[in-house]
Amino acid sequence: MPSQPPLASRELTRRSFLRGLGVAGAGAALASCAPASAGSGATEIIFYQSKPEVIGYFDDLIEQFHQTQSRVRVRHDATSNLAGSFVRESPPDIGLLNYNFEVSRYVERGVLSDLSDIPAVERIRDDLQPLIDVTATYPGRTSVIPYSLMAAAVLYNREIFDQHGVQPPTTWQEFLALCETLAAAGVTPIYSTFRDPWTIAQGPFDYSVGGMVDTAEFFSRLKEAGVDVGLDHSVSFQEEFLEPVERMQTFLQYSNEDAASRGYGDGNLAFARGEAAMYLQGPWALTEIAKSNPDLDVGAFPLPMSDDPDDREVRVNIDLALWIPEASGKKEAAREFLSFLMQPEIIDAYNAAALGFGVTTDAAPVTNSTLAELREYYDRGAFYLGASQLVPQSIPLQNYTQSLATGAEPERVLRTLDADWARLAFRA
Amino acid sequence: MATTAAAPPQTRDTAAPRRPGATRRPVHRTFYLFLVPSLVLFTLAITLPAIMGVTLSFTDSVGFGEFDFVGLTNYVAMVSDPAILSSYGFTIGFALVTVLVVNLVAFLLAVLLTSKIRAKVALRAVFVLPMVISGIIIAYVFGFLFSNTLPRFGQAIGFEPLASSLLANEDLAWLTIVFVTAWQAIPSALLIYIAGILSIPGEVYEAASMDGASARRRLVSITLPLVAGYVVINLVIGFKNFLNAYDIIVGLTNGGPGTATRSVAMTIFSGFTGGDYAYQMANATIFFLIAVVLAGIQLRATRGRSGI
Repeated sequence: MPSQPPLASRELTRRSFLRGLGVAGAGAALASCAPASAGSGATEIIFYQSKPEVIGYFDDLIEQFHQTQSRVRVRHDATSNLAGSFVRESPPDIGLLNYNFEVSRYVERGVLSDLSDIPAVERIRDDLQPLIDVTATYPGRTSVIPYSLMAAAVLYNREIFDQHGVQPPTTWQEFLALCETLAAAGVTPIYSTFRDPWTIAQGPFDYSVGGMVDTAEFFSRLKEAGVDVGLDHSVSFQEEFLEPVERMQTFLQYSNEDAASRGYGDGNLAFARGEAAMYLQGPWALTEIAKSNPDLDVGAFPLPMSDDPDDREVRVNIDLALWIPEASGKKEAAREFLSFLMQPEIIDAYNAAALGFGVTTDAAPVTNSTLAELREYYDRGAFYLGASQLVPQSIPLQNYTQSLATGAEPERVLRTLDADWARLAFRA
Repeated sequence: MATTAAAPPQTRDTAAPRRPGATRRPVHRTFYLFLVPSLVLFTLAITLPAIMGVTLSFTDSVGFGEFDFVGLTNYVAMVSDPAILSSYGFTIGFALVTVLVVNLVAFLLAVLLTSKIRAKVALRAVFVLPMVISGIIIAYVFGFLFSNTLPRFGQAIGFEPLASSLLANEDLAWLTIVFVTAWQAIPSALLIYIAGILSIPGEVYEAASMDGASARRRLVSITLPLVAGYVVINLVIGFKNFLNAYDIIVGLTNGGPGTATRSVAMTIFSGFTGGDYAYQMANATIFFLIAVVLAGIQLRATRGRSGI
């Protein structure tokens, strides 16, 4: 509260109370305008960025940006309802968000402006383009610029692996044998958290499917097929996802017994305490695990789903991507901030801090000891986009994977998925 | 707790066929002016958005940006969508079961709390407590009990069905939702029943006792018929509220396991967060029509009964 000492001491009649309230309100309104009018002639832009782990990091970056120039002032918005701001036609001037099915609708409805003439676009790795296109495109536009990429795989407790003399597996058979060995030794092989459906979708489900199916190619065929999806047609979930899903059910049996009632937080805690050897989570879990056990020695390996070690690939997702809405009236200022964020030392420093992989051709390699194990896959392009990120949110895929994890019949679930996809295509 | 004060209208009055003062006098203009603020607010906040929503249900809009009119496509797709149909199935089944459980328990408690027992005012306060706690908090607390405490208890006594979390059981998870919802909803039904029972004149019971009616007989032949109006109110209001079930489900199961406990309200809301705005608007329109029908039934059922 802005300090209003007279209000408390004055005899509090209704009138004086209301007057005081008005003064307080006006004061608050003025105060909120102050930063905007501080730099005379400066343009204030709103920067939307809501990834909780790095909000403070970007506050510091904004401060740094303010010191380098005085034309543009940036206000950080981390809490507004983004969809609501677009509905009201007053979106932020620049956004930095996870690039997934949620942002895809902004791209596809053409509310994001074209960024193709920004020099930094040239530096983006070419092999990321298919990942961007399969999620969403708008004809003739570069709607988003990737900023940070996350590579996810199976996290494992190096100490437990050493104790039992086992190595990260390179084939499906080796993986099963590893689970057997650990289970026989009384160690819980895999910690699973079925209570939070997204952890199944992004972990076991995506790894299983991505290890056997070329997701980018599969989903482009799906999009072309339109309503003609199913067993009678050339493309279907029932046909191509059946084996991966069955294998997922096989290895999930090596999970902790109470997996059905455990959530993401429980999983991080249990893995940090060394209660299981493996944990199918992305690098975002590393910081959480480190909170309860900073000394835990964690490694990572891509889940092998075939008998050929060369088939191993890591799951990636574009964790952050930059965009500037059409409706912004301050595109030039927003672009200036965007170019600042894209400077090699700024973007590299961010990715190092947030455990992301660089998206530019000139990016510095990852140094984190866990992620270093995944580096070779990323460098040679052995990666895929998680299937769960490519299914529109109106299909409750995460819930379906929860059913699968707790033993639902794969044929039935995949049939529903085919029907859902066809129905979505019908009304699209 | 205020129990006697809450007593609304008398249940049984010898309602005259014509109300007194039926001859209409012209109403002064000022009275209409009093209507303006609420009328304006209601129109701006409810009627206009509703009309916009219904209009959007005939488009492929995601809430912003470009969109086209697609006619009845959304409605056609809806009727064959198992996600939507099963959410209706679940919601209606859940509402029916819950309304029965709530009213049965609330009525029995009300009888108990109006009979000659000790500390009944204090007990009433205890029973009404759940009413003041927010649904989402109740859901999280019970979620913890169901995922941790209850399974451990089940393991300890070696009772297999309880040994694993009920919330993770696709066939039984709905029971936990019924239980928690009922736990939260019983107090308000209880208050209405207490008010109803207290409004029954003591003479009727005295007369019945003199005629030698047993306690059970008095309950069945006097209490029950005389609070029938309250039963109807509780049933209809309760059913309508349970159809809108949202917060407790989100906190307990979030629609899971699988899609076993997704309510209609959750499905509709997923359209806004999931970019399926127009489609779920069509769903919302249908749901609205169902609510209108129910409201009509409610009005019919309560009119006359409560003497309004």
